[in-house]
Amino acid sequence: MSERTVVVTGLGAVSSLGNDLASTWAGLVAGRSGIGPITLFDASGFRTKLAAEVPQLPDCGVPSRLRRRLSRTDVIGLAAAREALADSGLDLDLDREDPGRIGVVLGGGVSGLLDSEGYFRDLLAKGPRGARPTRILNHPPDQTTDRIAEVWGFRGPRATITTACSSSSTSLGYAADLIRAGMADVVVTGGADSFARLTHGGFNALRACDPEPCRPFDRNRKGLTIGEASGILVFEEEGRARRRGATIRARFLGYGITSDAHHMTQPEPSGEAGARTIRACLRSARLNPGDVDYVNAHGTATVQNDPAETLSIKLALGERARQICVSSNKSMLGHCLCSAGAIEAVATVRTIETGVVPPTIHYVEPDPECDLDVVPNTAREHPVRVALSNSFAFGGNSTVVAFGRA
Amino acid sequence: MREILVTGAAAVTALGRDLETTAARLAAGESAVAEVPASEAGERKGPAYAARIGSFTTEPEMPRAKARRLDRASQYAVVAVTRCVAEAGWTMAGNEEETGILLGTGSAGAGPLVDFERQMAVESPETASPFLFPYTVSNAPASVAAIELKIKGPNVTITQKDPAGLNALFYARFLLEDGRARAIVAGAVDEWNLTYHLSYERLGVLATATRAGYAMTEGCSVVFLETAESARARGALPWARLAGAASSGSPVSPQARRARPGDVAATLRAALGDAGVEPAAVGLVHASANGVPWVDAAEAAALADVFGTSPLPRVERVKLLAGENPCSGALQLALAARALRDDPSLGAVVVNSLGAGGNQIAAVFTAP
Repeated sequence: MSERTVVVTGLGAVSSLGNDLASTWAGLVAGRSGIGPITLFDASGFRTKLAAEVPQLPDCGVPSRLRRRLSRTDVIGLAAAREALADSGLDLDLDREDPGRIGVVLGGGVSGLLDSEGYFRDLLAKGPRGARPTRILNHPPDQTTDRIAEVWGFRGPRATITTACSSSSTSLGYAADLIRAGMADVVVTGGADSFARLTHGGFNALRACDPEPCRPFDRNRKGLTIGEASGILVFEEEGRARRRGATIRARFLGYGITSDAHHMTQPEPSGEAGARTIRACLRSARLNPGDVDYVNAHGTATVQNDPAETLSIKLALGERARQICVSSNKSMLGHCLCSAGAIEAVATVRTIETGVVPPTIHYVEPDPECDLDVVPNTAREHPVRVALSNSFAFGGNSTVVAFGRA
Repeated sequence: MREILVTGAAAVTALGRDLETTAARLAAGESAVAEVPASEAGERKGPAYAARIGSFTTEPEMPRAKARRLDRASQYAVVAVTRCVAEAGWTMAGNEEETGILLGTGSAGAGPLVDFERQMAVESPETASPFLFPYTVSNAPASVAAIELKIKGPNVTITQKDPAGLNALFYARFLLEDGRARAIVAGAVDEWNLTYHLSYERLGVLATATRAGYAMTEGCSVVFLETAESARARGALPWARLAGAASSGSPVSPQARRARPGDVAATLRAALGDAGVEPAAVGLVHASANGVPWVDAAEAAALADVFGTSPLPRVERVKLLAGENPCSGALQLALAARALRDDPSLGAVVVNSLGAGGNQIAAVFTAP
């Protein structure tokens, strides 16, 4: 492809740690846990009764007649997009901007499932007459993508990546490719995903949830804690961003995307599959292992993921793996599933900007199988020029993205 | 920019378990659209139509015993992807990391999701099946196929209303141009589900005996995209060239089935421009037309606008017979490539796909 390069000119976040970028980042740096008792439904029948919920939904800035029709995922997605677009300083008067050159590419999955679950339950308990079918209208995972385009009037290409836990990392890659290929100049990208019975119940059924707050890379980890969040990044063609005097927060350097072809729910245990994705990312970003200063780990805290990921980082980065920080935002934000890659990308960009690496909290006992510097419990000042963010999903869909200093 | 060819295709549709049968039945004007009877759906006012596959076997591509644990969409994907790879004559051994898979979907995971929700609600959260949950994710069909065939290159699932299959093609082009794979199986997969069908029926969007609308369908259709260098090096027979594409969105409500002729025409022109193809060189258009009268009319007006000054190409509206869902857009991609394989004098074939929420993607194939 051509030499059009991609920079980040806007960031927005909504998470269990706060309804904007500043509070989310402050929480991450303080090592604050967003995990607490589940409030969105009765969790008494589940083995795990904890999640990282967004405590109070943000104002997403739309008229109340539209607000009433939005899902939880739409609300957090629109709020994060609103913050990111304001942050970008783009002139959103579409008489001056060409709306056809602005795309929207998000990762998603759960979307309005919490409402649909209510509908399914009514259907089972009361039959069709007792269930309102309009409650499933927000079910498709591409709702939030379409809503962002609708609210701001964007007319460029759209896509919603649904590859489970790597969805929104892959969306960043697609967004960057659209810009590099000249199909768009600006892409609103990242993802939004919220909590639902299905995901919580599913990971419980797989015995993949920790009854306690998740403990990535700790020897006694018992699984993940589910979270919800939206992370939105405004990607822009660099020349254009510079011409309009935009503040460039970071560069998107490239990404690797592969398929494990191993198992629907288990990571490939030798770490070779994950290493292949990291290497593909380095190739795409024209980086050497020695260039990498930080890895924002997938770090789910499942028994299987963390050692396999540790091996992957070691296989791909060699000696460099011992010299860098590798931390898991999921220890604080929970596993935000289809938006995990997005909120972690937002945190990765902030790490590059500030030179502060968020910690891996709830870390008590080292695991010899996870023997990298996981920045236990306290944030660390560590200059980061280049960072990777890993996302590994159900189905063996793996994506690693690379960001660099502006 | 790398040249990208189609060197194979496959289809599992409500009209047949393979592309040739599906194409022949469409050519004969046969429809897969049928009423969903009360024996399945219960008594209700004005039953709606669907284009369903009915009984289905994964054999010979996958033993029945192995397929039993899979959801329907994954079963369709395994069969279609296996056949597509075979049709292209592609050797997987040694090429695993050079092979990718990109599927669009609007509905994959629906069946397992409804079953899992039922288990949690009716039985208890503790008894919900850990074997069901992995198939509730939309990427299960592509990933099951990847695991089966050992596809180790890029693996992506895109959810979008109707144009998702074309979106997979759109993204696959970037991945191939960037050298991330030499070949990508691209298309779409869907599963018909009774609970969803009845819900959409009650929402009034599906066709009934007295109301115009679309009929939902299921299946999996894919094309084998390959860089020209790769195809030439192994002496593969090219069916068609992926010459260009365009993707756009009108800012409307996600459920709105609305289209303005001017917008539709602009995207078609952008795709032709991207392909460097003049309207007069187009011999066939696979239209998006799915039975929603005002959208179909807007598309017809856009086609007249784009092709009006040249002899109008033949326009096929296969979704009226095969049903609507992203898998139908992917079927149109397979049919377009097949048409150029059988009759290169068509010159160029356009596939247009409009979806709820203002989504539109158009693709242009030319004779190789």
